[in-house]
Amino acid sequence: MRDWEALVERQLRGLALEPAEIAEVVAELSAHLDETCEELRRRGMTEEQAVQRTLSQVEDWQKLSRLIERARTKENVMTNRVKQFWLPSLLTLFLSMGLLMLVQFFGPNPWVIARKSAWSLIAPVAVIYLPWLFSLPLIGAMGAYLSNRAGGSRRAMLTSIVFPVLPYFAFFLVALPVTAIFNDRLGHNIMFLALFVGLLAWVVAPAGALLAGGALVQFFLSRRLDSRRIVGS
Amino acid sequence: MIGPGIKRGTAELAVLSVLEDGPLHGYELSRRIEQQTKGALRFTLAALYPMLYRMEQRGWIRGSWETSQQGRRRRCYRLTQAGKTKLSPLRKEWSELFSALQRLTKVSRA
Repeated sequence: MRDWEALVERQLRGLALEPAEIAEVVAELSAHLDETCEELRRRGMTEEQAVQRTLSQVEDWQKLSRLIERARTKENVMTNRVKQFWLPSLLTLFLSMGLLMLVQFFGPNPWVIARKSAWSLIAPVAVIYLPWLFSLPLIGAMGAYLSNRAGGSRRAMLTSIVFPVLPYFAFFLVALPVTAIFNDRLGHNIMFLALFVGLLAWVVAPAGALLAGGALVQFFLSRRLDSRRIVGS
Repeated sequence: MIGPGIKRGTAELAVLSVLEDGPLHGYELSRRIEQQTKGALRFTLAALYPMLYRMEQRGWIRGSWETSQQGRRRRCYRLTQAGKTKLSPLRKEWSELFSALQRLTKVSRA
């Protein structure tokens, strides 16, 4: 019986991968050759014929070695998860936070929604920075474009788009139930209703704005794909 | 016989489609494709594995070592969620291309 593992190991000696990876490749390819040879023998070929036919599957071992290296390392530089999700997500997060800071420092006064009582205004329950809100579709579009260009799935793209509001969402997820439980013991300015309005102002509205931009990009990208198909066909 | 250019384009679709039915190791995968296409698509070892590794890097398939009943260790590939997501538009694109070619050849004959 032929030692396929030794043969593959010898042929792929120059493979520039980690030793564990090389061992995996050698084991996998030799198992494939072994099974091919066995199958050919079962079909009635002599040992020599089967070995010759099996070996004919690889014309150039050096070329195969290069192709394997390229396939296993080229896309390792930046993993798909980073390209499709983390990079667009962090970019949208930093852009939206940076822009919010700029608007807070240099922009016009925010739109303040305050709770009215019978005799006066009580603490503001939502502060909305309109210029920031209007810029979010652009940021959402950027996230969608980057994720789509990297081949991201619909879920990766959607998460990248709404990523900037996720920290606020997490805050409200914790704050709302806590407030609901301790509402009676807390001050009037963090009451349940205030948090609910805050959720609308800091999560729902920005997420809507981000998604609007993202959806627009997806619409144009799908149209471009369709027109390419028409040209291609 | 289908030429090499078209084969390259259909190779990924073939692998994803076959893996949709369940996990397979490399040798079985190539056999299954050959059988199901009645020999029109044939993958040699040199063509198959670089493609499988590339598809694995892209996250479309995932390989894991398994031991068969005969004690043979083999790397089984299964379709990931990303692979399933990739398969559906790919299938549509190829189907549209083939329909378009079919229409074209019918028109030329007429």
